[in-house]
Amino acid sequence: MNLERVSNEEKLNLCRKYYLGGFALLPFLWLVNVFWFFREAFLAPAYTEQLQIKRYVQRSAVGLLFWVIVLTTWISIYQTHRARWGEMGDYLSFTIPLGTP
Amino acid sequence: MAAIEEEEMGSSCSWRIRGVTELLLRGLLLCALAAGSGWCNSVERKIYIPLNRTATCVRLMNATHQIGCQSSMNGDTGVIHVVEKQEDVQWVLSDGPHPPYIVLLDGELFTRGMMDQLKESPRISGVAVAIAKPRPVKGFSPGSRCPNDGFGVYNSTYGPQYAHCNNMEWNPLGNGLFYEDFSFPIFLLQDENETEVIKQCYQTYNFPHNGSVPQYPLCAMQLFSHMHAVTSTVTCMRRTSLQSTFSINPEVICDPLSDYNVWSTLKPINVSTNLNSTEKVIMVATRIDSHSMFWNVAPGAESAVASFVTHLAAAEAIHKAPDIQTLPKNIMFTFFQGESFDYIGSSRMAYDMQKNKFPIRLENIDCFLELGQIALTNSSVLWMHTDPVSQKSLSVEVTNLFSRCSTSGTGVEVQEIGSTQALPPSSFQRFLKLKEIPGVVLADHKTSFQNNYVTETAESLAEVATVVARALYQLAGGSGNASAIQADPRTVTRMLYGFLVRTNNSWFQSIIKPDLKGILENEPPPYYIAVSKPVNATYLVHYVLANLTGAVTNLTKEQCLNSDGDLYEYAWVQGPQDPNSTTSSRLPFCVRSTVRLTSASSPAFELQDWGSTQYSTWTESRWKELHARIFLVASRQLEIITLVVGIVILIISFVATYFINAKADVLFTTPRDSGAVAY
Repeated sequence: MNLERVSNEEKLNLCRKYYLGGFALLPFLWLVNVFWFFREAFLAPAYTEQLQIKRYVQRSAVGLLFWVIVLTTWISIYQTHRARWGEMGDYLSFTIPLGTP
Repeated sequence: MAAIEEEEMGSSCSWRIRGVTELLLRGLLLCALAAGSGWCNSVERKIYIPLNRTATCVRLMNATHQIGCQSSMNGDTGVIHVVEKQEDVQWVLSDGPHPPYIVLLDGELFTRGMMDQLKESPRISGVAVAIAKPRPVKGFSPGSRCPNDGFGVYNSTYGPQYAHCNNMEWNPLGNGLFYEDFSFPIFLLQDENETEVIKQCYQTYNFPHNGSVPQYPLCAMQLFSHMHAVTSTVTCMRRTSLQSTFSINPEVICDPLSDYNVWSTLKPINVSTNLNSTEKVIMVATRIDSHSMFWNVAPGAESAVASFVTHLAAAEAIHKAPDIQTLPKNIMFTFFQGESFDYIGSSRMAYDMQKNKFPIRLENIDCFLELGQIALTNSSVLWMHTDPVSQKSLSVEVTNLFSRCSTSGTGVEVQEIGSTQALPPSSFQRFLKLKEIPGVVLADHKTSFQNNYVTETAESLAEVATVVARALYQLAGGSGNASAIQADPRTVTRMLYGFLVRTNNSWFQSIIKPDLKGILENEPPPYYIAVSKPVNATYLVHYVLANLTGAVTNLTKEQCLNSDGDLYEYAWVQGPQDPNSTTSSRLPFCVRSTVRLTSASSPAFELQDWGSTQYSTWTESRWKELHARIFLVASRQLEIITLVVGIVILIISFVATYFINAKADVLFTTPRDSGAVAY
């Protein structure tokens, strides 16, 4: 969808939907929200709904950052420690690489 | 859109170019698809020489350890260096300038000391061992000094002074190489011609003439033996079961070593019920299997073969006695599989007997006679090993056994060993663990194993078989003339030929089922238990035993195939060649015997107790491919230069294509005007 062809109200509506949707453990919605509406929120000339869009984008960005930190930490712990956890490591894994402990 | 526009505008020339490109691309795709099937891969064939006759060291696991070898996923490559003398190894360990190396080791040097040296060096990426011919004089055993330690009868509560071979180191030549874990691949080269090709390649390219450093290109070898399983049986079985529960693409990563035991009885028994507890059975046992470092090659199997051939010959001899159906006691002939791996076969049978899952129960066993290692290298003396712990309580019965065995009066002398020595590693120990059964283990060694290769003749084995058969006859309460029982040396010769030289011989051909004729080969069968079942050795023992102890019936094929019952099994076998026929037709017949197969899979897997310390937990890893190849490798600089030049050409061609495409209307204008004029 091209945002330039959408009315400002519609933009706000979309941005809100993506922001709220992200709370359903869907950080990718926040990621999309941040990239998609960044221009509208911070670079576009001012309009009435811009303030709210800006707020949603900022909050989405914070949420995204939180997820990035959590996932990065977990993935690095998991990748480095899985072999050491033994049995639990196997139960936590969906696919286990062949031929490695 | 773009394509259509171009087509409209483009000239016939650019159209042709596109057609050619399409053709080329299609050809490439075909090549890629066909590479696996060996068609269109002439480039690969020009680069690599595959080594076809190799055996690979694979990974096995038990409850706590992994043993064996593995390569990385894409194979391990190294510059070949031939090590024929102890000094040659210095080049790969420190002097040679082109690490990593793959060592081509002469069979003679495949020793513990050498392998320890190579194992510690980071400059080694693999080892290829040329098979030793003739065999090392001193004997070679990759097994442990105390075989199957911890799984026998002796432990901290039962004869603690004998536990862990305290009393006697049974296999002093065992260097334990089999139980080592190597981080690099090891291959056995079985074909001398291939070894010669490799050595030729080494002499031409890699040999440091007068100490000078050889120049690239160098002769290199690549070994593929990537193993899927890792750490231990506990880990790999857990992963396998996890994968099978929820993975979309479940993948088995290791399989328990398992096969079948072969057994039969002198008098037929009803296999669908348990034997009455008043009936007594004398159990005779040997093992079929052996192990070696290389998958599906068990060249050290001669000792096992000599024992079970003797056992088979004794079974035949006793079946010829006239009054066997009236003997007070029955005799059971048992051939165990997987005994080299912590008694897989015997532990399973003893477990089944204990749980009443086998027609014969432990209390039916009157006594136990096991044929251990029988090679008779030094003298024709056989030693009777007994258990010093249970002997204290069962001395009368054991002495009884002794005297029966000793009074046989043949060329073989059977002697007692004092009651201070423990039993050698034997299947009997697994039965003794559950119940105090009187029994002896007959072997050619008084103390530790005779670790020499078998040199006995068929006659001496037949004599041993005669002794065993006569002793069994008397033990079973036979009152007839025991000295009439005589094992046939010709049968022994035929069996030794079949089991040690080639299974594809006329006798084996005539005694097996028609659908099994594919297992006969011009070489001896592998005596490794493996994970697919039954293995060829089990089949062969089954049909040889059925032939030697069964009876030929005149049933038709249909009757034969449908008449398996509780007492007998019927087998429709190929039969001998028809002498009156010019074509290769055979005269098949139906054999009735009491020979049956029973599971030889460790109770640990039955109980899903993968960390068991009571039962064998050996598993074999799965793998995708095992192969080796040699080729000429260029220097690292040349490889990088080639790659960079390739990338540069690719970029240049992209740029050129872009500009040519952009100026296509200028470059590819056909003299359309002149054509118009002409018409």
